[in-house]
Amino acid sequence: MIVKLGLKMILVGMMASSLQATEDMSKWLRPAEVPQPKDNKLTPERIELGKLLYFDVRLSSSEKISCATCHHPKQGWSDLVPTPKAVGHEGAVGPRNSPVVLNTAYQNRQFWDGRARTLEEQALGPIEADVEMNMSLDELIPKLNGIKGYVALFEKAYPGEGLTEATLAKAIASFERTVVSTISPFDKYAMGKKDAISKKAKKGFELFKGKAHCIDCHDGFNFSDGSFHNIGLRDGELQGKELGRYLTKRRAAWYGVMKTPTLRDATKSAPYFHDGSAGTLHEVAHICGNGGRYKHNVKNKSTFMIDRELTKQEISDIVSFVESLTGPDMKLDIPTKFPQ
Amino acid sequence: MKKIIIASLILSSALFSADHVIDQKGKTFIPHAISVAVGDTLTFKNSDPFAHNAYTDNEANEFDIGMQAPGKDISAKVKAAGVFNVECAIHPNMLLEVTAK
Repeated sequence: MIVKLGLKMILVGMMASSLQATEDMSKWLRPAEVPQPKDNKLTPERIELGKLLYFDVRLSSSEKISCATCHHPKQGWSDLVPTPKAVGHEGAVGPRNSPVVLNTAYQNRQFWDGRARTLEEQALGPIEADVEMNMSLDELIPKLNGIKGYVALFEKAYPGEGLTEATLAKAIASFERTVVSTISPFDKYAMGKKDAISKKAKKGFELFKGKAHCIDCHDGFNFSDGSFHNIGLRDGELQGKELGRYLTKRRAAWYGVMKTPTLRDATKSAPYFHDGSAGTLHEVAHICGNGGRYKHNVKNKSTFMIDRELTKQEISDIVSFVESLTGPDMKLDIPTKFPQ
Repeated sequence: MKKIIIASLILSSALFSADHVIDQKGKTFIPHAISVAVGDTLTFKNSDPFAHNAYTDNEANEFDIGMQAPGKDISAKVKAAGVFNVECAIHPNMLLEVTAK
């Protein structure tokens, strides 16, 4: 699948460079190769094993929650039941909105606060979190080792490495690396098909790059440069998880900052922002384009958050453009049978 | 005699330490890898129209130059030998690999 998508994107790149002579559109197209760590190269066995684990509720203490509960392909890789903040173990409400898994393979930092560098580092966190899957790894690893089907699949995927915390993380990360964006109407436009998006969306694209300055943070093919910002969703002193990356280290630049999310497939993953406080893309565009929800008394507010004085029409145009970034769901057979 | 040798060593180290200019442009460190000597300085330029914040968590060389406005230069000293990464606190895709000998 990855190879096929890769070839498509190369062709797309060639067409883009030939048809859009005035502007280099190749930067908007997903790179053909998905980054992979040296010690966990993608193989069909690893991807298939990771997919089973991702959808298997037995990885949670209640046996009711899987990774997919909060990061489901049917909801743009976010909450299966859309809520402002993730709902996990026995109805516990988590501190943040579920981030989407789409294109996380291309990110240098994982989680809203960037506390994990790789997908392998990230994969086990939600399993152990008491408000998510609430499953101790000390219990989970022996439990999985008691399922013969899984032991055999781990041996195929990671010969001689055993079924351990490390291989569990590697397998889930392998599947997550295959969760990549498909070709959206905007991608077709970037390839040179001029009528692939509406006039309104084209206006929105120009505003996105120009007057509205969305591109300052939502740059590159993933419409996120992977950076961290405090966009002024709250004023005054921040508490708890609202402190964002500052929780990982008390660095002044990290006070209240959260990772810039991708805009690809954003129409599928409402509500928005790390706190789920915006229900629509119009609301998001209004807040981001007009200097943040709070204009004053926001400590370490991003210098990008300036009131761009956008009109309702301009906000509507930008939303049309963002809507054009939604592609068809990736082909995926969601497992219904699991190893025994 | 011993004092003279020590003084000469300090003087020669000061005389021969180099300054390496690292530009931050297009959310990239230029160059993205550099070899330096212990005692050299890294001078960070900011050619982007927005702020950067270079830092390293490498224990022996830890520094955080803080928020760096466009057009401003800020330097940091390389204190110990080793290979370490410098990142931007705002743009984590920016990576600079420093090899200090």
